[in-house]
Amino acid sequence: MRDETRLGDARPGALAGPSRRVVLAAASAALPVLLTACKGVQALGTPPPPPRDIRVLRAAITAEELMVARYAAAATRLSASPGGLLAAVRAVQAEHSAHLGQLRSALIEPTGAPTPSAPRAPAISAGTGVTGVLGALEQAEQDASRRLLGQLDGLPAPLAQLFASVAASEATHVPFLQRAQAAAS
Amino acid sequence: MTSKAAAAISALQQALTAEQAASYGYGVVGAHLPAGSAAAAAAYADWVAHLQAGDQLTEMISARGGQPAAAAVAYELPFPVTSAATAQRLAATMEDRVAAAYLVVVALPAAGLRSYGAQQVRAAALRAQSWRGSTEAFPGMSAGALRR
Repeated sequence: MRDETRLGDARPGALAGPSRRVVLAAASAALPVLLTACKGVQALGTPPPPPRDIRVLRAAITAEELMVARYAAAATRLSASPGGLLAAVRAVQAEHSAHLGQLRSALIEPTGAPTPSAPRAPAISAGTGVTGVLGALEQAEQDASRRLLGQLDGLPAPLAQLFASVAASEATHVPFLQRAQAAAS
Repeated sequence: MTSKAAAAISALQQALTAEQAASYGYGVVGAHLPAGSAAAAAAYADWVAHLQAGDQLTEMISARGGQPAAAAVAYELPFPVTSAATAQRLAATMEDRVAAAYLVVVALPAAGLRSYGAQQVRAAALRAQSWRGSTEAFPGMSAGALRR
């Protein structure tokens, strides 16, 4: 009798589901308000820094915002390039926007918390060619993937899974862009 | 055995099961690709990678006092594989499932295992991209695990 098993039946039972949303309320931001109500301003000390996972998540959000801005700038710069190349850049930009949305949804800021302005992408000089534009994107992708992988330790499990998945996605953008460039040239 | 050790063994076992399935599946993939082609060479390289990963997981499970499950003799394919195109689709599908299995390892609190799992998710995503020709925004994650 053959021992037959469904291919790839390893179902990831520990995957984070929607009911396990990472709730990272930045409680430290609300603390001074509470203290003010109780003891007055003089009783306030320096607010404690936010926990590490919140700082790491905020940094990841900022990095992803920068990546979206980079791709927007690159798409503008490559607007006259062959259609396939521009489509590839826009496809990757859409994935970064999806990453950004998921990362933002993992962070719950207290009402009234200041919203930092989105970072601006480094300017692309007019003389930069297609190879230079794509090379900069590929380097940024590698750096971003490596950075996320280096921040997993100590994160809540669902956030670590999200970081690992996003890091993997960003790593795949490098060969994807290289293939698109090769096809366009 | 502590609950942490049991959780680690369970997660590693899930990854091993996915690796064993992928090792079997690449045999099917290779059989449908033109001999001597770049795709056939890639399938062979990926098959070897999965065999090695399976060996590594077997050692990791044993080192933690677990009993690695043996591979099945045969696996049911998720769809009929009748051509090079469907073979490549199978390869990409298997890599997606391998990535999902390693995300369970990423959920473990131990830094070393978490890092190992993440590296394997990345490796599987890169292989999937090469077979599919396109990228995924969230390799290994089910739609239900993502916020809408």
